[in-house]
Amino acid sequence: MTSKIAWRNILRNKRRSLILIISIMIGVIAMILTDAFSVGMMQQMLTNQIGADAGYIQIHKSGYQANPSLKNSIADAGLIRAVLAKEQSSCNVSERLRTLGLVSSASNSAGVAIVGIIPGEEKKVTTIHKYIVKGNYLSENTDEILLSTATAEKLRVELGDKVVIMASRLDGSVGSEACRVAGIFETYDSGFDQTHVYIPLRTAQQMLGVPDRISEFVINPYDTKQTDLIALRLASALPHDDEVLTYKHMLPVLVMQIQVYDETIYIFYAIIAFALLFGIINTMLMAVMERTHEFGVDMAIGMSNKRIFTMILTEAIYLGIIGTAVGIAVSCAIFIPLSHSGWNLATFSESLNSLGIGTTIYPILTASSLINTVLIIPISATIGAMYPALRAMKLQPVEAIRTV
Amino acid sequence: MENKHIASEIVRVENVRKTYHDNGVPVDALRGINLVVSQKDFSVIAGPSGSGKTTLLNIIGTLDKPTEGKIFLDGEEVASKNRRELADIRLKKIGFVFQAYNLSPVLNALENIEFTMMLRGIPADERKRRGLTLMEQLGIGELADKRPNEMSGGQQQRVAVARAISNDPRLVLADEPTANLDSATAAKLLDLMEQLNHESGITFVFSSHDPQVIERAHRLFILKDGQIISDKKNV
Ligand SMILES: Nc1ncnc2c1ncn2[C@@H]1O[C@H](COP(=O)(O)OP(=O)(O)OP(=O)(O)O)[C@@H](O)[C@H]1O
Ligand SMILES: [Mg+2]
Repeated sequence: MTSKIAWRNILRNKRRSLILIISIMIGVIAMILTDAFSVGMMQQMLTNQIGADAGYIQIHKSGYQANPSLKNSIADAGLIRAVLAKEQSSCNVSERLRTLGLVSSASNSAGVAIVGIIPGEEKKVTTIHKYIVKGNYLSENTDEILLSTATAEKLRVELGDKVVIMASRLDGSVGSEACRVAGIFETYDSGFDQTHVYIPLRTAQQMLGVPDRISEFVINPYDTKQTDLIALRLASALPHDDEVLTYKHMLPVLVMQIQVYDETIYIFYAIIAFALLFGIINTMLMAVMERTHEFGVDMAIGMSNKRIFTMILTEAIYLGIIGTAVGIAVSCAIFIPLSHSGWNLATFSESLNSLGIGTTIYPILTASSLINTVLIIPISATIGAMYPALRAMKLQPVEAIRTV
Repeated sequence: MENKHIASEIVRVENVRKTYHDNGVPVDALRGINLVVSQKDFSVIAGPSGSGKTTLLNIIGTLDKPTEGKIFLDGEEVASKNRRELADIRLKKIGFVFQAYNLSPVLNALENIEFTMMLRGIPADERKRRGLTLMEQLGIGELADKRPNEMSGGQQQRVAVARAISNDPRLVLADEPTANLDSATAAKLLDLMEQLNHESGITFVFSSHDPQVIERAHRLFILKDGQIISDKKNV
């Protein structure tokens, strides 16, 4: 009967109940979608950076991560290749030699990371080949180079134009090579674009005078969830003067950002919960005060304070549950299509590109976000109803009955 | 069995004073009331408007506390009881009938009657059975699923009476129950309460200045300016 009475009281002032349900619903949608888009955005930042350049696992000579110089490159890759050969069934591998240098045209020059890659293998571990906007990806020709649109503009070069790359060799002399612009790329990340050029591995080795050296192995597990496991396996199979790093080590800022997000999202939840709390306190207080006379009568006929409290809380719980259910339904209705098509934010593409996100965000709905919502929102609604319920409990029956 | 003295007297009011403070101005609503209501009494507290009838009834019904003096219900002093205990006493021993009926607008007639039984923890099917029987007895059997706003004043007041007696109270307190009813309807309602008084032995205490009500009193207290100026038995 308590639940029947609660229902009837909810239905009694449909407009007010609807307003409460809608505000709860908006809280739920805000919580779910904000989280879905934030998580989606960060995952995208992470997978973009992993995909474009870092890969999931890299092997270097110890100390390379701290000081990525030519001196710290791998002189004898034979042992590592042998170890990696055993992992053939679990991952793709490519080798690179990279250094900092200069790329120049007749009119300008730019400081960049010169990355020597094995074109065919690189395709299996990173996605740079997907970002070619003009010309072609590297072929087997040794004199080709890939530049970004930004670099090409800076150097005022076009496809097929010659550029010269230069970098220090081990002995301190300067190696240089003339290359032809074979392709122009443009990733989601303008900062990355301005600072990277790609040439064939052999060309890099030749320019730097280190025909056998490489700086890193890039390893992508077929199943990326196995990343840590494979990294561990590799680390134990390799001697200590090699370092095995996962993207978590290579992109520490981003990984930390995600961790920080996971914690700070609770501040956001708290803000929503508080807003909701005060909305509910306000509205329920109004609803309760309007019923002062009835509570007086209820008390006169012997209803205990506890029951009055419970009755009001029951109403809030019902409203909370309905609002949350509707909110989740609406969130899913918004989320499901957007998770397939993505949300195109072309208007903000400049800033999104500088963040390395890409212009289309694919939201990700996590179980923890759903669980948090389902817990936090109805609980806030219930807590919000406590103050009005306490006020109702404190009513003096005679005065309450006199109130009309 | 209880002590004979206590068993026969259900309400005892001793030297009760009640002073309200209306914006700081003290208003003496009751000025030393002494009265005893015995079991099965059909008693009326009469008096002009403002004489303190409602105040007295509320104090007897434990809805309000006297400024001074004592109230005994069934021989028990109520001043020492807390809110929860008082609510329990009202639930089990006292039925209220108000001038303005005061039925719950969200419940239909039967549910209004069931409500007090629900508060006592009576199971749903028994509540329903008893509620319907009561409604039949009071001649409102056909109103079970009507909401208060679909009933006349007389019908609502009968439902209110049914609600008041649904938990088999020892005492029914009715504050001007006929004030909003026409005299024919009022007469029927009074017949009903007289009948309940006769058949079930429920003690009634009314407040009223309606001659129809006063006419039927077995016991008449006349209140004026917060004092009882006349106490007559078997009028
Ligand atoms: N809450 C209150 N605050 C201040 N004064 C009050 C309050 N309740 C009652 N009074 C005053 O106490 C006196 C008695 O009031 P009470 O309502 O008991 O009279 P009554 O006999 O029931 O009158 P009526 O026939 O009009 O219902 C009146 O003077 C009234 O103004
Ligand atoms: Mg009165």
